[in-house]
Amino acid sequence: MTLEGWVPELSESLTLAEVIDLAFDYRGNTTVVKVDGTEAKGYIFNRSSDAPEPFIQMFDVAGNGPIKILYSEIRNIKFTGRDMAAGNSWQAWLERKEREKAEKAARLGTGPA
Amino acid sequence: MAVPLSQMWTVATYVLKQRLRGLKRYPLVLMLEPLFRCNLTCAGCGKIQYPAQILKKHLTLEQCLKAVDECGAPVVSIPGGEPLMYPSIGELVDALVQRRKYVYLCTNAILLKEKLEQGVFSPSKYLSFSIHMDGLREEHDEAVCRDGVYDKAVEGIKAALTRGFRVTTNTTLFDGANPLRMREFFDEMMKLGVEGMMLSPGYSYSKAPDQEHFLRRSKTHELFSRMLSNPREHWKFNQSPLFLQFLMGQRDYECTPWGNPTFNMFGWQRPCYLLQEGYAESFRDLMENTRWEQYGRKSGNEKCQDCMVHCGYEATAVDDTFSNWKGFKDTVVATLTGKL
Ligand code: SF4
Ligand code: SF4
Repeated sequence: MTLEGWVPELSESLTLAEVIDLAFDYRGNTTVVKVDGTEAKGYIFNRSSDAPEPFIQMFDVAGNGPIKILYSEIRNIKFTGRDMAAGNSWQAWLERKEREKAEKAARLGTGPA
Repeated sequence: MAVPLSQMWTVATYVLKQRLRGLKRYPLVLMLEPLFRCNLTCAGCGKIQYPAQILKKHLTLEQCLKAVDECGAPVVSIPGGEPLMYPSIGELVDALVQRRKYVYLCTNAILLKEKLEQGVFSPSKYLSFSIHMDGLREEHDEAVCRDGVYDKAVEGIKAALTRGFRVTTNTTLFDGANPLRMREFFDEMMKLGVEGMMLSPGYSYSKAPDQEHFLRRSKTHELFSRMLSNPREHWKFNQSPLFLQFLMGQRDYECTPWGNPTFNMFGWQRPCYLLQEGYAESFRDLMENTRWEQYGRKSGNEKCQDCMVHCGYEATAVDDTFSNWKGFKDTVVATLTGKL
């Protein structure tokens, strides 16, 4: 399962702090929508929820940073970038390799009928 | 005996010094990750799953050396990504050797021969290439998701040994590993002439996507017991024999996550090499403000329940060696007899 493309709808059962936690675990770029209406795009690599003023840290899409944004400045986070962890499991690779083997065998006419 | 005496002596005196100072927590091996970029894309490798701008970045030489000095550990392991793709790798290793740090450069060895031919490194007792080898040709190429990598790595090992470098191997084992094939693999590596081998089970985390391939505790005990019982005389392991006994289920240890602190472009990683629960700005902040009680098996943290990896437990084994006579005696006996 991937969160790629998700635009969270914050509610009582989905808080901003929870979305920030999910964005911190997400292996892709996100778009941080700020309270002032501006947006910051990039990779969130850190969050500190128990600091006196909770914050996130990110590198923007050009790799500049770290950029620090306070929780209080964030309205929402959109999961806009590609999930780099998706489909890269060992199982996926084994399945791909099996598929390739079967295709090769079929091409050579040695595969199962 | 695979770890050279001078290295053992350095580590022993360092540990004793920390204990005499009454330090409860001290680092043993700094895990320094200068970059996450790699020339392989092993499935499930958590180190390379970043967006392009992160993969393009790397630490500066100054950032690396500052981290080394801040941490003070006698051993520096350079994993990655692929450290041979780090533009300042030669200068970094030189600077570490000058500081008399024992360096393990962890590499998949694809670029090793080329770098050696370019004269990027000079042999030193402080420098060891730690070659990623997950088994014989078939198993290794499968683990790294590319055919031909095993042969390339063997070529790199031979090139390094011919030039007088120290070479070790590091092997991660997952569920389904065949103990007999692994025994053949150990024979093969020793035949190549490596100084010693390092083993670790893959990280097992109940929420990891590839759960079925990670080893649960009882399976780890079974696999390592079958693999390492009656070890052949010529096998040499470049790690604590007490850690290997722990993997075989002969000892029960708690994790020492601060033993192998990790530094990369995000900062000092909390709490360990595997888990990324946040980053501290300084080494001191990491040591003083990480909630260590929330990690390790006893804590009840589900992420730690099946974990038996070397970066969490080898430091415990080393501490056991120097904290009581029994640990010391057991280490000496296992080291001298080669029996586990
Ligand atoms: S060689 Fe190491 S860093 Fe590179 S993809 Fe494989 S496991 Fe990851
Ligand atoms: S047991 Fe230790 S090394 Fe393993 S995941 Fe937990 S803190 Fe990290």
